[in-house]
This record gives sequence, C-alpha cells and structure tokens, in this order.
Amino acid sequence: MRPGSLRFEGREIPIQDGDTVASAMFRAGVRTFSRSLKSRRRRGLYCGTGECPNCMVTVDGVPGVRSCVTDAAAGMRVERGRGWPSAEHDLLHVTDLMHPLMPVGFYMKTFVRPRFAWPLAERVIRRATGSGRLPEGRDPSRFTARHVHVDAAVVGAGGAGLAAALEAARAGDRVLLCDAFPIGSRMPPGPALDGIRALEAEVQAERAIEIVDRHAALGVYDGPTLALASDDELVQVHAGRVVLATGATETHEAFPGNDLPGVWLGRAASQMAGLHGVHPGRRVVVVASTEEGLDHLRTLVGAGVDVVAAVVPSAFLDDVPPTAEAIADGELISASGGGRGRVRSVTLRERGEQRRIPCDALVLSTGLAPRDELARMASPDEPVELVGDAALGDGVAPGVSGGYVCLCEDVSAHDLEQAWSEGFRSAEILKRYTTATMGPCRGAMCGRALAAFAARRSEGRDRAAAPRTAARPPVRPVALEALAASVHEVIEKRTSLHDTHLAAGARLGWSSGWKRPFAYGDWREEYAAVRERAGLMDVGTLGKILIAGRDAATLVDRVFPGRVADLAPGRSRYVLALYEAGYVADDGILGALGDGTFFLTSTSGGAERMDARLREWTFRLGLHVHLLDRTSELGAIVVAGPDARDLLGSLSDDAIDAAALPHGGLREITVAGVPCTALRTGFVGELAFELHHPRSGGPRLWAELIRAGERVDARPFGMDALELLRLEKGHPYIGQDTLPDDTPAKLGLDRAVDMGKSWFVGRAALERLARGPVGRRLVGLSFEGGPADAAELRGMPVGAGGEIVGRVTSAGRSPALVRSIGLAWVRTRDGELPAALTAGDATASVVPTPFYDPEGARLRG
Amino acid sequence: MAELSTSAPTVTAVLASPDACERVSALPGACPISPGEVTIVGDASITALRQAVQRIDPDAVVRDVSDGWAMHTISGERARDAFARLSELELPASGSVQGAVARIGVRVLVEGDRVDLLVPSMLAAHLRERIQDECRELLS
Repeated sequence: MRPGSLRFEGREIPIQDGDTVASAMFRAGVRTFSRSLKSRRRRGLYCGTGECPNCMVTVDGVPGVRSCVTDAAAGMRVERGRGWPSAEHDLLHVTDLMHPLMPVGFYMKTFVRPRFAWPLAERVIRRATGSGRLPEGRDPSRFTARHVHVDAAVVGAGGAGLAAALEAARAGDRVLLCDAFPIGSRMPPGPALDGIRALEAEVQAERAIEIVDRHAALGVYDGPTLALASDDELVQVHAGRVVLATGATETHEAFPGNDLPGVWLGRAASQMAGLHGVHPGRRVVVVASTEEGLDHLRTLVGAGVDVVAAVVPSAFLDDVPPTAEAIADGELISASGGGRGRVRSVTLRERGEQRRIPCDALVLSTGLAPRDELARMASPDEPVELVGDAALGDGVAPGVSGGYVCLCEDVSAHDLEQAWSEGFRSAEILKRYTTATMGPCRGAMCGRALAAFAARRSEGRDRAAAPRTAARPPVRPVALEALAASVHEVIEKRTSLHDTHLAAGARLGWSSGWKRPFAYGDWREEYAAVRERAGLMDVGTLGKILIAGRDAATLVDRVFPGRVADLAPGRSRYVLALYEAGYVADDGILGALGDGTFFLTSTSGGAERMDARLREWTFRLGLHVHLLDRTSELGAIVVAGPDARDLLGSLSDDAIDAAALPHGGLREITVAGVPCTALRTGFVGELAFELHHPRSGGPRLWAELIRAGERVDARPFGMDALELLRLEKGHPYIGQDTLPDDTPAKLGLDRAVDMGKSWFVGRAALERLARGPVGRRLVGLSFEGGPADAAELRGMPVGAGGEIVGRVTSAGRSPALVRSIGLAWVRTRDGELPAALTAGDATASVVPTPFYDPEGARLRG
Repeated sequence: MAELSTSAPTVTAVLASPDACERVSALPGACPISPGEVTIVGDASITALRQAVQRIDPDAVVRDVSDGWAMHTISGERARDAFARLSELELPASGSVQGAVARIGVRVLVEGDRVDLLVPSMLAAHLRERIQDECRELLS
C-alpha cells in the first residue's frame, strides 16, 4: 500500500498503489461525486476516461479536476464542488422536482424583465450553479510555453498512435508523440496492455520520436499547428503533418435513469475492477454490444464482480461467462433509482416482454464514438489524418429515448423535445438554445446524441449522417494561465539615456512604445528653463531613416506632398506623409545630406510605418533606393532655449551661428567629442538644435550638456513640459490632435502641400476633396473661465448653439500667454467656423495659431 | 543548462542591388535580410565590402551600424530549448534566420549549441528581460 492518504471533506481516505483520486474515493464508499449543474441530481463515476463531468472535484483548491484520471497523492485535499450545505445532502436538489416549472431557456425567459432583475438573478444563478471558485494568488508564471518543429505529430499514444509514430520515424521523420496521460496508464492488465507495452518499448528506442505525455491536445490550427497543454506548459507543435490517433469514447446512451450513480460505461467499470480492485457494484448488469464490451464483461467477472446478467447480441451468447445470465438481444428501457438516487434496478425488453432486474450497477458498452474533434476543426486542405478508432466514422448513432443527453449542462431529452417544439430545429441552434455540448466535455459525450436527435426529428434522415455541431478549440479543458503563458503584449523600447534618466529621478511613462521621462521634478520649472534659458530633451525616440540611391530624390518627391526634391544640401523641411486617400499618416523633418541622400525623422511612434511606406513606394514606383532605418542606431538630444547656442558653443569648435546653421539648417558637427548631425528645428518655439548622434555616445553627450548647462541653469525637460511648449506653438501631435481622416486642409497644414507638383501620393484625393467644403478644422482655442488647470478640458466636447460641434484635443494653461489655450477640431457650417463655443464650463473662441511668438522670431534666433 | 550573455557586436549594413548583395551574402557572419540588404556580424572591412558591392551597384550603401544592435547569446546544452520558448522560428543546425523572438524582430545566428540573437539596441534590455523570464529554470 502506498503510504499516506488524501483528505476528503474532513476525513482521511487511504490511497493504494496506482489509485486515482476517484478510485480511492470510490473504495472509501463515496458514490455521489458531484451534483448536476441545474437539477442538482447526484452524479457518480461514469466514463472513467476523463471525458464526462461527473467525477469533477476540487483538488487542493483547484476546481474542475476530473478525479477519474488524476493520480491520488498523499496529502491531497479533495472536496466536491456543488451542494448546499453539502454535495451529499444538497437542499437545492429541490430544483430537480421543479424541473417541469423550469424548462429549457427558463433563465432567459424569466429574468429578462424587469431589466434591473437580471444582474441580481445572474449573481444568484452563478452562485447556485457555478463550478467552484478559482484559486487566488497562484503564480501565473509557473506556466511556460515552447515551440516544437517536427515532420509528424501524432496525437494519442494508444496502439494506433504508437504504431503511427513508429512508422513515421522509420520512414525518416522527426516525430512528436503526445498523449494526455502516461502511455498505458489507464488500461487494466491484460493482452491489450501487453501489446501497448511492447510497442512502447520500440517507440522509446527510436531517437527520432519525442514522447510528450501528460499533454492534452487542445486544437489544430492552420500550418498545421497543434496546441498541447499540460499542468505547467503550453506547447505549440509546428508539424509537417498531424496524425490523430485520439481513439473513441464509449457511446453515451440517453435513456430514463441514464445519469444515476451506478450507471457506468464499460471502461470505467473495467478499470475500477481490473486496475484498482474495487467492484463497481454488488449486483451488476452488463449491456455489451461490442467486442470491447465483452472484454469488459470478462474483466469484471475475472475480478470477482457478481455480474447477474449480461445483455448481448445473440452472436455473443457463447462468450458470456457461465456465472452470468446471458440475455440475447435485450433492449435496455430504463434504470431506476432508490435511496440516494443510486441504481436499484434495470428494466429491459426481452423477446417483446419487459423485465426488471434488481441490481446496483449497470455497465454499458454499446458502441464507440470516435474522438474526431481535432480533425473536424482542421481546415480541409491541412495534412491531418485520422487513424485507429478515431477513424471509425459515425457508426451507429446513440439512442435518445429519455434521460440526460448532455451531462455537463444538464440537458435532458425532454428539454430537447421542448426546444424542438419551440422551433429550434437543427443541432446547431439546439446547441445554442439549450447549451447542450457546450460544457466541459466539449461534446465528446453528447455531440453525437444531439446530432442523432436532430436528424431523427428532421424528416427521418439517416441518423448516422446527422450533421455534427462545429468543433472548436479547446477540445480539452485548459487553464487560462496556460493560454497566457506565451503572451507578453508590452514591448518596451528604451533610448541610450534610459538609465541616466532613472538616475536623475525622472518620472518615466509610456509614449508610443517607448519609456520616456515625463518630468524630472516640477515640469513648470522645466518649461521655464526652455523659455527663458535652455533645456535638454532626449528625443532619441524619433524615427530616423537614411534614404540613399540614385532615385532617392524622386522617391521623396513622390511620397511627400511638399516641395522637397530641390532641397539644398544642408537644409531641412517639414514634411507630411499622406495616404492615397489624402489623409495624414505622419509628419517629420526631411534633411538633404549633400551626396544625394536624405535624412528623415518621423514621429516617435511612426518610424516603422514611415519606413514601410517608403519601401512600399520604392517598390511600387520601381525606384533604385536604399533605405536604412537608423532609429535604433542613433540617439537624439534637443538643446532648446535662448541660451542654447551658447551652451552648445561651449562644447563644440564647429560654427553654429545663424549663418552657419540657420533655422531649418542641417550640419555635421562635433559636440563634446561626439559626432552629431545637427538640425535647427522649432517644435518648442525657441532657438533649438536637434543633435542626432551615435547611440553609444548618448550618455557622454548628455552628461557634458548637463554639465555645461549648469552655467545657464539649463534643465532637462520631459513630455509634460513639451506638451505645453508645443501647444503654445500650435503644433499638432499626429494621433493625439488628429483623426484618421484628417487632410492637410483640415489641420491647417496646407503649407506642407505643393499642388503644383504633377504627382505625389494622395494628390488625386486632395484635388477631389478640394472641390468640396472642409467639413472640419483643427483650430486654436482661447478659453475663458473653466477649470484652473485647463488640461482638464482635453477630450471635452465642443458645443455651439446647444449642439456638439467638435472636441478639444489638447489644452493647457499657458504661462507665456497667461491664459488657457487649446487645440480642437470643430465642424464648419457653410465653410465657416461657429463663433461662440463652449467646452465644459469654459467659453472658447477660435484664435489663430501659433499662440506664442507667431512671427517665429525666437526660433529663428 | 544554458548561459545568457550580452555583447556589443560589430555590425555592418550592406544595402545594394540583389546581385551586389549576393556577392557578400556568403561571407562569415552574413545574414541576408532581403534581396537588397545583408547584415554582416563581426569584423569586416567596410572599404573592401564597399568595393565589392559598388562594382555592381555604384549607389550601394555600406555602413557600420554597430550602435544600432546588441547581441544576446544563449549557449550550452539547453540553448535550443531556451530559444524554443521564445520563438516559433525553426533553427537550422548552423546559419541564420530572422523573425519574431519574444515578438521582437530579431536576426538569429546559429552554430551548434550557440544561438546569437541580434536585436535592435532600443529593444535589447527588453529582450534580455524576456529571455530571463521565460527561460529562468534553463539558465545557469
């Protein structure tokens, strides 16, 4: 005996060698393993193969564990889920008596009115029918994910799967063989298991076969890709072909009393007696229609089980052991229960006469239902094949004469009849209305019965050809943690100054996939430094693209709507990028480097899109252009403010005066020993230098600028200060201040478009759009009243005459102007903007932009 | 087990016409990226490369782009197992592939039990954290 015991609802249950949780519980006298979902009927062990929901218990706080396929271990804490006050004495069993008053669809019909009742009813229903509470505080990272590449993936390590794996390996394939359980672990001793062990030995000897047991196949996806899950791992198998040897379940027959504890499928009873040495009952009736059923009968008799009657086809009469009464071609009518809902007798029809046989267990083995869900969910052209019992086809459909069709969702044959009478007349819509096949077995037990019912009721079609409901992954229950194991959505980009910013105490936040400083302290001081002295900002996040090749000038001329082909070396210009529909995709600065190449910067979030657009148009126009995305290679620092030139000059011997490097100029200079491409830009509205430098030189350059800046009390500034600095200049953020269908005209950026050019991307659309009115404009607003912090106005609807006519996209209190300002899109009427606007409690008026230094004298300094 | 180390490789970008790129795509450390682009990892003479490709494509661009890249190396007996946790790319016995590793575009160089991941510098810290997280019990 294996030392130890498991703890079951306050008592110790001894474990024997090879026990599952279910076998240990059953040996200890537990007969009610669970309560059904709605009617709270007792449910006992049934399939023994981990398909049906009957044996689901909570193990160590994890609900929904199928005890029949879970190895027992010392110290386990096992509880049954549903039941109030307990599963053994469940007062909510009264719902079974009320079943006629609670027909299928009861919840949807009853609680839909009044509307407020549903949330309350939902809570009550969830508590009453839920399948346990998920454990809290578990470490989700205990799951890992991995990918495997093989020539052939074989699902199922029974006889057919082992043989298929061997055949593939011997043909030279790399093979992955998977099974939800250890090979042969669920089979009772006997010739069949001996055969499996012999094949297993051969498989183990093949180096080309990787055996992945305890991994359940969840689904087949295009590729084909096969998803497997274990208790701690998700495996994605990329296979040249998939062989499904998933076997078959024993047929679930629907007849009155079919869900009583004491009704067993043959495999479960055979395992319990043959593998675990526990009799499924004291007086057992066996209904066996197949060779496998006869094997189960022999196993039971061989284990000393008192089989009082065996109902078999007449051809099998001679195979019935003499200790059991052989009944030829008997028809099973019903099972009847007694106290505690267990089987007390079975009623049969034998030679036209009904007969009742007292018993406490009924073992059924009437046919096989192929487990073919994985094949049915695969695209038809995928190399996926079924072998072994999984390839048996539909065969004889199960009977549906009463009882419960769907054990998981507690859907009875009567429920299906009623749904049918209400007009739900196909397997698919019966499924949706009754939720049959939607429970934890995913239709493995009841899918064929549902289809058979629908086929039988619809024009007497051949039941074997009944259409099945769609198969979808996962075909086995899987923890959400397993599915999330491979998912890490957030990708963090960092500039070379990331650690420097952290060391400076910067508050970092997300911006376009980058972690950027939003402020180093009080952002107002940072703002003031830029306006009054000098500020430094890390703009290494900007997209940076080198455009070279003999057609580089042609490309930029075609892609950007502005006049850029004539850009003189050492000059740069603001550019827009348009979609063919004329909508603004991004913006940036294009600089001419002097050797026929161009240096382009884009928004921080737009680098990849811009690069892709340039590549696309290079290809579409058939140009000879080389593109190099230098975003990762280069850092960039902005030095801005009235003292910027002095600061920079103290670290560089190169000429950076207004003549050598005017506004819009571009020049290669060396700053603090770091080679830089310096751009004179004006995003913040002050004299500014954008220093693009090798990434490795970033920390040194920054440190030297900070040190040299001490003389003028320069400050690093972050996104918070930038937000107001650029707002005062009226510069829109593409994305924040724009909508997907904004044209240059709507944004007031016509200056970046030269309609005199014969062709550029989006030109035809702009020409067409120009014939109509501009229905919406991005405008500058000046606010009166409203919140003290005008930033709160961002996102506010803009009203005029009682109507919503726009939305505030940016807002803030301008220290330079000493008033609240903002950008907003506003609808025009007859081409005119409304005069009196409101936003929240504030009144607003449209004013020209830039708000600050409209002549641009400061930035040209 | 496997070991994770990070280095700053020498990387040269060659942008040229396809036939010019072919001339350098067989060099040691060469990763063909597209018909018009080859990345060469390791010491390479830019002058020699430029001469080789500009003979065919006078506009060809050959640049040292080392600052744009970092190299994470996973080596040891479990190196391939570790990689399988990060990417669905199928590794050759030796050579290079490119694709998503932890959802990041990476150029991968393989030689036996050594897997070099060439990653853009801006994403290097993130990828290293992902490797350490996903492969923690495989790394020594």
